[in-house]
Amino acid sequence: MLWTVLPTSAIEALLNQLLALDSASRSRLQKLQGKRLRVTLGELGKPLTLTATDQQLLLSWVDQEPVDCHIITRLAVLPELRDSANITRLIKADALDIEGDPMLAQAFSKLIADLDIDWPEQLSQRIGDVPAQFVVQAWQRSQRWLNQRREDQQQWLRDVLIEEQRLAPGQHEFAEFTENVQALRARVDRIEFELKERQRGQ
Amino acid sequence: MKDSNSETIDFGYKKVAKGEKQGLVANVFNSVAKKYDVMNDVMSFGIHRLWKRYTIDCSGVRSGMKVLDIAGGTGDLTEQFSRRVGPTGEVVLADINNAMLEVGRDKLRNRGIVGNVRYVQANAEELPFADNSFDIITIAFGLRNVTEKQKALESMLRVLKPGGRLLVLEFSKPVLPVLSSAYDFYSFNVLPQMGRMVAGDAESYQYLAESIRMHPDQETLKGMMETAGYEQVTFTNLTGGIVALHRGFKF
Repeated sequence: MLWTVLPTSAIEALLNQLLALDSASRSRLQKLQGKRLRVTLGELGKPLTLTATDQQLLLSWVDQEPVDCHIITRLAVLPELRDSANITRLIKADALDIEGDPMLAQAFSKLIADLDIDWPEQLSQRIGDVPAQFVVQAWQRSQRWLNQRREDQQQWLRDVLIEEQRLAPGQHEFAEFTENVQALRARVDRIEFELKERQRGQ
Repeated sequence: MKDSNSETIDFGYKKVAKGEKQGLVANVFNSVAKKYDVMNDVMSFGIHRLWKRYTIDCSGVRSGMKVLDIAGGTGDLTEQFSRRVGPTGEVVLADINNAMLEVGRDKLRNRGIVGNVRYVQANAEELPFADNSFDIITIAFGLRNVTEKQKALESMLRVLKPGGRLLVLEFSKPVLPVLSSAYDFYSFNVLPQMGRMVAGDAESYQYLAESIRMHPDQETLKGMMETAGYEQVTFTNLTGGIVALHRGFKF
């Protein structure tokens, strides 16, 4: 019981906190009010049911009442569902099964995807404008520093692998090798062709 | 008619006259009403919230429904039902104890739960509602304190709409013997002390522990619900049977 209720309540609380940070969520939720979506993932076994009320999104692993849309799929397929062009292909490939209104599932995912939270603004409301400005600047500085470090590390690794230890080929080396392989393949094809011609001539 | 004072019924481990139990239970709840919520969290380590959440998830509540929360006390279930039934639905919070009802009303109003909630002081044995008027009835940790449990179950059946369901969330019998003895130690040694420290009232919590032991176990309560006329009665043990959720339908 603990594990069927605790995770969903925790995620639900977090999700609703996030939704509350974007003032546009309210109108998006109102459009979905009373709608219910169920997602059954092969890996999890248990179906997860989402219900939209005018103020909140509710999650449940226990709920077994009828829903407006039921999606049955695997975890790995979920990212592909973002593009509605994929849906038909996935259904044909038996990777996806939808009962009910498929547009509803997209409306639910838009609720999360369209979240636009103004973090600096949220922060300044809590700790004040000046401290928030400091925090945001420090964050941006640390981001820049991290990016710089990552690039440096990558460059160093590249140098070690290619120039010093010679474990991997360089870009030009690889291009030359590919070219050679293609040339070789062309020669093999030609020889094969000639061989067949001769066999036919005999 | 039988004279209700001549028959006895359990009040915790004590035997009291039937007519007295209601007053004695009222004393307990008058005493604990103000500290009820904090005691629930302390005693159950917050798990009571999960038991209640599980009940809500099993209720099949939809927007527009009419819900009766009997012995709703401080309104934990009512609050969640109110959000789910929306402006077109209605939740009736009923409790026999006015002190509990007051605490519940204040709490819910402070949290902005208004508009679709009605507060009614009512006895579960004789519910003051028309036949077939509710889609869902819940009684969470309340049936234990009712004098005539069978009569209460029948009264609930009467006000339930055909197709509606009753959910009884109540302390029950732990399934595992190990859990059972740990639970006994906790209930009779730790609980009353906690009650003394937090709510300044050990006796009420002694009663709580005793009344839990006197409450019918899972199968007995299931049988009582079937006798009352509920169909498809099932129960789920929560936290190893310390609490059980019984479900029954009216068709």
